[in-house]
Amino acid sequence: MFGGLREKLQAARNRLGSSIQEAIVTQAPPAPETHKGGPSASSASQKSISSAAPTFADKVKILIIDRELVVSEKDLSEALSELEMTLLESDVALTVTDAIIAHVRTNLVGKHRKIGASVDALVVGALKSALLEVLGNGFDLINYIKTHNRPVKILFTGVNGTGKTTTVAKIGSYLKKQGYTVVIGAGDTYRAGAIEQIGVHAGRIGIKIIQHQEGADPSAVLFDAVQYAVSHKIDVVLADTAGRFHTKSNLMSQLEKIRRVMKPDLVVYVDEAVAGNDAVVRAAEFDRTVGADAVVLTKADMDSRGGAAISIAHTIGKPLMFLGTGQGYEDIIPFDPVQVVEELLGSDA
Amino acid sequence: MLDTLSTSLKDALKKLAGKTVIDRAAVDELVKDLQRALISSDVNVKLVMELSKSIRTRSLDEQLPKGTNVREHVLRIVYQELVRLVWVSTDVKLEPQTILMAGLQGSGKTTTTAKLARYFQKKGMKVGVICADTFRPGAYDQISTLCAKINVPCFGNPLEKNALKLTREGLETLKDLELVIVDTQGRHALEADLIREIIEINVITKATHRWLVIDAALGQQASEQARRFHEAIDIDGVIITKMDGTAKGGGALSAVAETKSGIVFIGSGETIEDLERFEPDGFISRLLGMGDLKALLERANEAIKADEVDVNAMMKGKFTLRDMYKQLEALNKMGPLKQIMGMLPMGNMELPDGVYDVTSTKMVRYRIIMDSMTSGELDDPALINSSRMQRIARGAGSTPDEVRELIKYYKMMQRTLKGLRGAGGGKFNMQRLMKRFSGMQ
Repeated sequence: MFGGLREKLQAARNRLGSSIQEAIVTQAPPAPETHKGGPSASSASQKSISSAAPTFADKVKILIIDRELVVSEKDLSEALSELEMTLLESDVALTVTDAIIAHVRTNLVGKHRKIGASVDALVVGALKSALLEVLGNGFDLINYIKTHNRPVKILFTGVNGTGKTTTVAKIGSYLKKQGYTVVIGAGDTYRAGAIEQIGVHAGRIGIKIIQHQEGADPSAVLFDAVQYAVSHKIDVVLADTAGRFHTKSNLMSQLEKIRRVMKPDLVVYVDEAVAGNDAVVRAAEFDRTVGADAVVLTKADMDSRGGAAISIAHTIGKPLMFLGTGQGYEDIIPFDPVQVVEELLGSDA
Repeated sequence: MLDTLSTSLKDALKKLAGKTVIDRAAVDELVKDLQRALISSDVNVKLVMELSKSIRTRSLDEQLPKGTNVREHVLRIVYQELVRLVWVSTDVKLEPQTILMAGLQGSGKTTTTAKLARYFQKKGMKVGVICADTFRPGAYDQISTLCAKINVPCFGNPLEKNALKLTREGLETLKDLELVIVDTQGRHALEADLIREIIEINVITKATHRWLVIDAALGQQASEQARRFHEAIDIDGVIITKMDGTAKGGGALSAVAETKSGIVFIGSGETIEDLERFEPDGFISRLLGMGDLKALLERANEAIKADEVDVNAMMKGKFTLRDMYKQLEALNKMGPLKQIMGMLPMGNMELPDGVYDVTSTKMVRYRIIMDSMTSGELDDPALINSSRMQRIARGAGSTPDEVRELIKYYKMMQRTLKGLRGAGGGKFNMQRLMKRFSGMQ
């Protein structure tokens, strides 16, 4: 999914790299005897040959070994605004983009760097630390289940049409393959066809489902699902809920009631990878009202650039657990931030 | 975040407000804020750059029309440019036709299909629906339940796996109906098989309209997806769904720009009636985070008869409890005060936060308290001493503290309005202002 973002970031990275390179070149000639920047070793020494005579050897030594370069804000502004565009085009929300740019800027501007360190590494380092900081750590569900009392109750929330029901089915199938017993609570009692939908999924992957009729109280359904899991010694309860907008206070308080009644161990917030700036607004609101312990990002196969992952992680500071990458049950992959960042920026540095 | 954004946009407009000569730097600043507003509303970044370029050139090049200030001039250009984009004629004719629904997974096609069926049914047409979604479990249950609620025939078969065969059969079964809506499975542009499928469905149905359903929250992907759908089946209209959330629907703007079509409908709620024809004014105001000018005007007209609230008298500083009573009553019909103030494009007006703190339940309490006042007290609140306060509180079933709070609120409002008069340079006239903005297009 992050293919698009990767391309863009690679380009931005080259741009940043070259702008720093230029900065060094332009800084070198006027003040070779100060501690101001020197270019890459070869061009620096060529320039100093022309101006220096007696202490040439010293100078070369200083240039090559002791020189530090100072990166100024001016050198970066153009490249950073390009990086900003890149992030925006990749659906990273505006506020989050601002934060990342600021991070990269403070990390680069005014820093004295040894000339020995390659410029490329410098830039990659700054970007990488910015992205890693934003993405935080992944969330290892299997490990979580291992270390917690059974049944582990997981509640899925999110706005309409992000793919909660499909995600529940996928995670159910994933856990079943890992050898856990699973029960699904059909907590979407509102949308027409929702109970049928999750029912068919559960039937196909061979998981028990607890359901009431359409229009029933979702808290009651999910409570029953938990009771069933307790009495049948089932490992994991996956609680599906109806999609709801964070602006509908009645639906949000219904969700709160569900949380009170079934006391989930994990609240998983589901959103789609193609969402734009609103991802930030609604993630924050869900996190504020019913909390969120982990995030699942769906529809990551839609050629999206993955900005939503960065936006959401940055806004609510909760780890990403899974990425949904297609319509099949096996199309779900655990999210590993280090791997994603490596993939985005190349693992060479 | 959005608050700060629209504040900065308003600030930029404020700088232009009094000017009669175009100030290049101020225009640049406004254009920059405009870009940020549009980008944070999910409009495609490239599109934003193109738009802002032409807005900038036009703002600087065009003659300032007589009698307008720079702010109005620039705002009008912004508005015109945006309308030009979204307002391609999208006539919805009430004649026999077939409508093909297309869109990404989870964008709301099925719900919208039912809403559309209801919309045309209410216009007196005989409507039928074909469920060509053979993939998602429960899809047929969903659409057939919705259709049953409104008595619209729905053709489908959850056991059939061939969407093309289903569509053919459906067309045959529903051939006596005037309007047939074909709901399809969600798909995205990279799923080549599914794209091929929808191309074939389009051929079979000979659809009159092929509408692309776009989630209001869809981000930068909107352009790309719309382009591919357009290449496949020649999209001729866009429907934005889920506008009842906080998403701004900028993706739809990218989509219409890409497909050279217009926005046909807007879905904004979970019930089957929650579908509206597209209105550019409200949409654009929302994109810019500047409040819905047109909607406010309409609502204001509904809520306030001209004689109910004498804005001008209020502005002259003659603001009594009686005026406040009327105001609270009118506001009650229009929505919370903050929302209303947010709708007005008044960059040059700052209300103290305390004014907003009056919640709707408070407003009701206030009105009850005022009902227990004599008309003398309403006209001249200075009369109210502590013994009168006791009486009013007893009459309204409240406490003297609450009455005191009401008086405090009144005083704050009065001060605010006086301040407004000063800030607006005596020119402030709410009605005129609204009129001007509504006539902008």
